Amino acid sequence: MTTSMDRLAAAIHGTPCDRIPVFCNLIDQGAIEMGMKPQEYFSRGDCVAEAQLRMLAKYGHDNVWTLFYVGKEAELMGCDKIKFALDGPPNVENFVIRSWEDIPGLRVPDDIESHPSFAEGARCTAILRREVGGKVPICAYVTATMTLPAILMGMDRWMELLFLGPPELTAMLLEKCHELFVKEIRAYRRAGADVLVYSNPFGSTDMVPMNFFLERSLPWIERDIAAVGTAGIVYYCGMASMNRVISRVLERTGIGVYYLSPLDDITRGRELIAGRALTCGVINDIELIDWSPEQIEHEVERMIAAGKPGGKFLFGTGVMPAAIPEPSIRAMMNAALRFGRHEVTAS
Amino acid sequence: MLTELITQYNEALIDTDRDRALQVVHDAVARGVSPEAIVFEVVLPAMDRMITCMTVSGDASIAQHFITAQISNTVTNEMLTRFAVPSETRGRIVIGNSFGDLHALGKRIVIGCLRARMIEVVDLGLNVTAEQFVEGALEHGSPIIAISSMMVHTARGPNGCLGVRRILQERGLEDRIKVIVGGAPYRFDHTLWQTVKADAWADNAMAGARMVEDMLLGVPR
Repeated sequence: MTTSMDRLAAAIHGTPCDRIPVFCNLIDQGAIEMGMKPQEYFSRGDCVAEAQLRMLAKYGHDNVWTLFYVGKEAELMGCDKIKFALDGPPNVENFVIRSWEDIPGLRVPDDIESHPSFAEGARCTAILRREVGGKVPICAYVTATMTLPAILMGMDRWMELLFLGPPELTAMLLEKCHELFVKEIRAYRRAGADVLVYSNPFGSTDMVPMNFFLERSLPWIERDIAAVGTAGIVYYCGMASMNRVISRVLERTGIGVYYLSPLDDITRGRELIAGRALTCGVINDIELIDWSPEQIEHEVERMIAAGKPGGKFLFGTGVMPAAIPEPSIRAMMNAALRFGRHEVTAS
Repeated sequence: MLTELITQYNEALIDTDRDRALQVVHDAVARGVSPEAIVFEVVLPAMDRMITCMTVSGDASIAQHFITAQISNTVTNEMLTRFAVPSETRGRIVIGNSFGDLHALGKRIVIGCLRARMIEVVDLGLNVTAEQFVEGALEHGSPIIAISSMMVHTARGPNGCLGVRRILQERGLEDRIKVIVGGAPYRFDHTLWQTVKADAWADNAMAGARMVEDMLLGVPR
């Protein structure tokens, strides 16, 4: 029987399989699925794993997640307050860096795997590994060096420092973030993650000008990837578009998977990648909240028609908002499984 | 001389080079360019140009947007003190992040753009309740409430714009106070502003500031 891992491998290598892989990123739905308050849910890796497995059985997609919330990375660096919500993702409430003077004292834990904030994630990963390891890709989320300061000090403060602040302080902060990035990737690999989503909004020209991307962002992307290798790495700009940078990232790093934005044209993304990597077409899951079943089916069909011919294509979602009704998730999945089917020649 | 000034200033904005932009302005003033010309023929047209870059060609990034807003605000504040005839404010608005939302970037860009357009801004901060928005508008005499949301649940939630609308209806204030919204979720769903019962939205902060100016001045949209 073809597994989700088989489908992903076939899509990456462009070899025959029953259908394209479908990644449905259900993070905010976990606490609701388990009937738990978010704060309690996110404190227990076994509950996060259980929710992932239940939703996998319910919807039939091709991936599970070890991600609790993005602020976990800030917790590794000392964040002590997260704001939880019943209807959305938790957010960093107290920034680790409140003034530029805090940067020299910022310390990356020597061993993040023994850090309490990582331990539950490792527990979750171990359960997923035991239950579906080798069959269903296990995804982990790691923020790129150039973007990580935004979680530690706020996006606006990071932009101020990056564009207007002392270069030596910026360099110091980026070195520390790179150290955390490398440790995280290695820890997730050791824990058993197969897919490592390299999240880098500052690697999109939606966020920074092209000249800045070339002079500052791209060298850090190269350095990040050189330090950890490309195995399992997925280039992702946090829903910002990437078509303008794909070629350069691909040529300079060799990253093999590109998770487009809904703002990117899939056909153009495939042209740019030109069979050198896996293209992931991503549905606009904010509009999905209000779409009718017919609209959902039409959009999924359109996306897959643009991406599937020629192979090396994956259908994916963003970080699905909790407001998406279950029937809409089912409608999207049904359409993706149907339109994503490859014609199989009878033997 | 003005054409060259405009070119140099715009290039500095594109390069996100605040120091160069300010130097260009200061050099121009030293050469005799009036503060009024700096604001009305350099700074505000540069912001309009940025709107075109963001909405038509997609050539401007959020960083350029952010730095431009900061520079425009700084230059306008400085030039206003040198105007031959003191300029009157074009109005006052209150702004804040919706309840549960802790993301300041978008709001800060909008505030910079508004102040550059000589509009008074009362910043209600992050994580603002619907009640606080309405009370803030009444306290400061603002005919507009601007709500910034970075996240889907804070944009759509009952304590965000929908909550403000409910209170305005209950208190019979809808004719006096308009509500505008902006932020990432609205850029991914261009009908979301109607779903949350706002009066208007803008695709980016520069366009939002111009829309506010038009609303305050009674320009039909």
